[in-house]
Amino acid sequence: MSIVDLTSMGESQAELRKEINDRLSRLQEDVSDYCYQCAKCTSGCEAHKLLELEPHKIVALLKRGLIDEMVNSDIIWTCMSCFKCRERCPQKIAPVEILFALKNMAVASGKQIPGKYSTILQSVLSMGLIQDIQEVTMRDTKTKKRGDLDLPALSKPSDPAKFQAGLMKIAVEKL
Amino acid sequence: MKRKFALYPGCIMSTEQYAYEISIRETLPLLDIELVDIDGFSCCGEPLKSVNQLMMLYLSARNLALAEKNKLDMFAPCAICHLALSECRYVLGSNPEMKGRINGMLAAEDLTYNGTGEIVHTVDLLHDRIGIEEIAKHVKKPLKDIKLATHYGCHAIRPKEIGRPVDSEHPMKMEAILSALGAETAEYPEKLDCCGGLLQINLDESALAKAGQKLKAVHEHGFDGLVDVCPWCHKMFDARQTKAGETVAAKLDLPVFYLTQLLGLAFGVKKEKLGLEFNLSPVDKIQIG
Ligand code: SF4
Ligand code: SF4
Repeated sequence: MSIVDLTSMGESQAELRKEINDRLSRLQEDVSDYCYQCAKCTSGCEAHKLLELEPHKIVALLKRGLIDEMVNSDIIWTCMSCFKCRERCPQKIAPVEILFALKNMAVASGKQIPGKYSTILQSVLSMGLIQDIQEVTMRDTKTKKRGDLDLPALSKPSDPAKFQAGLMKIAVEKL
Repeated sequence: MKRKFALYPGCIMSTEQYAYEISIRETLPLLDIELVDIDGFSCCGEPLKSVNQLMMLYLSARNLALAEKNKLDMFAPCAICHLALSECRYVLGSNPEMKGRINGMLAAEDLTYNGTGEIVHTVDLLHDRIGIEEIAKHVKKPLKDIKLATHYGCHAIRPKEIGRPVDSEHPMKMEAILSALGAETAEYPEKLDCCGGLLQINLDESALAKAGQKLKAVHEHGFDGLVDVCPWCHKMFDARQTKAGETVAAKLDLPVFYLTQLLGLAFGVKKEKLGLEFNLSPVDKIQIG
């Protein structure tokens, strides 16, 4: 299996960056027209108290076009994807989707992918799932895995090569 | 009437959270639901949306296309998978250009996404398709004298715009189901809060703190247990409960169940057939069945 790296700077990474840029531009238009900085998004944000994420400030920075600053900041990776900000914004703005676009841009620009994101990415690219079958400990401290149980075989892409051929059009193969 | 669904297992339930899958396979057939296994499913892509949103759309479309090929609607018991699949349908339904692009890529696997199939989650399958009356008919051993807190999971309730299985600000379907099973439920201020699950990927301590805060609150409100319907949430609240407690300086011993485990117990199914030995929280504290 070849090693696949989303951060490699191939032709299609440029294409990917353009696509994310377009997404951000559309979001920026929405924000400029509608956000009135009421900070309702921040008041309910799950990552606000714990990690100091302020979605209304993310929106304000996008309005001013300060995209690079955010792409380079760790703060965008503190969002828990709870979707409360999107649900509760009176102006139908979705800070969470802005954050997704910014994180996508960070990855497409070759920034280091934090935490276990690269591990799960590699796993999906190689076997189709974020992880393989795990051996788990039960309450009585015995351990079991899927094969020990009365469950059907794990469903996963039956032809990994074909599966990868499809995904490769998004991920770029590193030579 | 027997209803058929492709069971879309997703990554976490099928490789680690076995209790959910075991209890689903044990209980739903009792309610005339036929679960069909399809080989070849992949990740729904939601955990990778932060890395590459296109990849999420592609992976979800791929799974939906597989179910369509088998002419089946899809049952996704994981709230995270359910949102990814629903969002994919929402986006591709309103963006023909994106649909064309994704289908172009799916051709590598001889798949086509049309958007014809339906997508259900555990809660709407039980509450809307099967119905409370039908569920009540199957109860043999009512869950008496227990007061339970529900946790739906962020991805099951939000964002409403995409169409979710339950109401986003006042979800009550699990309460209705649990009440049909004989248990008591109550509202609590933290009910809609996050389990922290996805944050495990890059900020594990904070993820645990999030779960710990919610567990502590549920405990302090005097509930006997917590009920969930998502393998990510359940992992945080059950398997990782002790660690989560440490982050909020609390010694927690709150029983945490999958809704389908309680369904089985109330239907008189033996404990051993509901994967209860996999729950790491002290579920034995509650005497049922
Ligand atoms: S809730 Fe909406 S309008 Fe208010 S600050 Fe946040 S994004 Fe802007
Ligand atoms: S989705 Fe992210 S930014 Fe929005 S409220 Fe939740 S944690 Fe905060």
